[in-house]
Amino acid sequence: MSRLDTPRDARLDGTADGELGPSAVSPKAMASGRSSPSADVAVRIVGTLALVGVAATVWLGLFVTPNAVDYADGTVRLLYIHPPLAWVMYVAYGMATLSSLLYLWPRTRHARFDRLAGASAEVGVVFTGLTLVTGSIWGRTTWGVWWTWDPLLTTTALLFVLYLGYLALRNVPGDDETVARRSAIAGLIAFLDVPIVFFSVSWWRSLHQPPTVDLASRHLYVHGSMAWTLLLGFVSFTLTYSWLVVHRYRLAVLRAREEHEGLEVALAERWAEAVK
Amino acid sequence: MSGYIEAGYAMALGSLAIYALSLVTRERASRRRLPPAAPGEPVSGSPSAPDSSGESS
Repeated sequence: MSRLDTPRDARLDGTADGELGPSAVSPKAMASGRSSPSADVAVRIVGTLALVGVAATVWLGLFVTPNAVDYADGTVRLLYIHPPLAWVMYVAYGMATLSSLLYLWPRTRHARFDRLAGASAEVGVVFTGLTLVTGSIWGRTTWGVWWTWDPLLTTTALLFVLYLGYLALRNVPGDDETVARRSAIAGLIAFLDVPIVFFSVSWWRSLHQPPTVDLASRHLYVHGSMAWTLLLGFVSFTLTYSWLVVHRYRLAVLRAREEHEGLEVALAERWAEAVK
Repeated sequence: MSGYIEAGYAMALGSLAIYALSLVTRERASRRRLPPAAPGEPVSGSPSAPDSSGESS
């Protein structure tokens, strides 16, 4: 009997109740274990909307919106991609943390939450890297330096390194349950830096400007076409994140299936050798 | 506009495009390596599992 034959292991494997592929976005399909055509269509629609939205954001951001008088050389145009990238970073790590909590909670423990946490964290790391790069360019054009040990920049760089460590930890060998549990705990620890990043501008004297969208006072510091383009940027990059996470999640499920089917083949071969 | 801004856009969007392409490519390669599970039959290695191939876009 393989280790996947037990209900508990099958549950950890994530294959027993069919949470694979596009069912990741469809609870009904998740329950049935079938590929859901409607989920496929939904993912395609999200992908198309993300592509169109990002293209429109770039066009509006670079060619339509006005330049701000207090920014030299059109630097303000980075506004339409830099804050949305940072926003997705928070969303991605929030999703990874929520999934980790759901995995650690005994009643909701399932491999799907471990995989979702890993997928979201990986996408989050990509967005964090891009946030740092675009922020660095903004810093070069406004402050005259590529990097400074400003609280926001430093804590964001720390966040990047923490989640790189989290992704590395996920690849440390071990049985499925151990890897998932220690990854979930590491994910929760890494998330402690997220509120520090978010509030660092308020807590410490920072070179970085205050948030363009002030959630506390519900105030937006840009108006007209600039505000709409920024809003479009937030929506487009959030859709992009969703599409990327679905595909990264599917890849994780397929990889798990490959590993387990490889194990089955190896066990069958060993069994055949034993009975000879 | 300074070239920095265009470079920032190109780097951000180019990186996202490459990452998205790598995900789709790896997903397709993984599907090709796996034997197709017959509809209604359990997946090898998980007797209670329904079709988990997750074929999609």
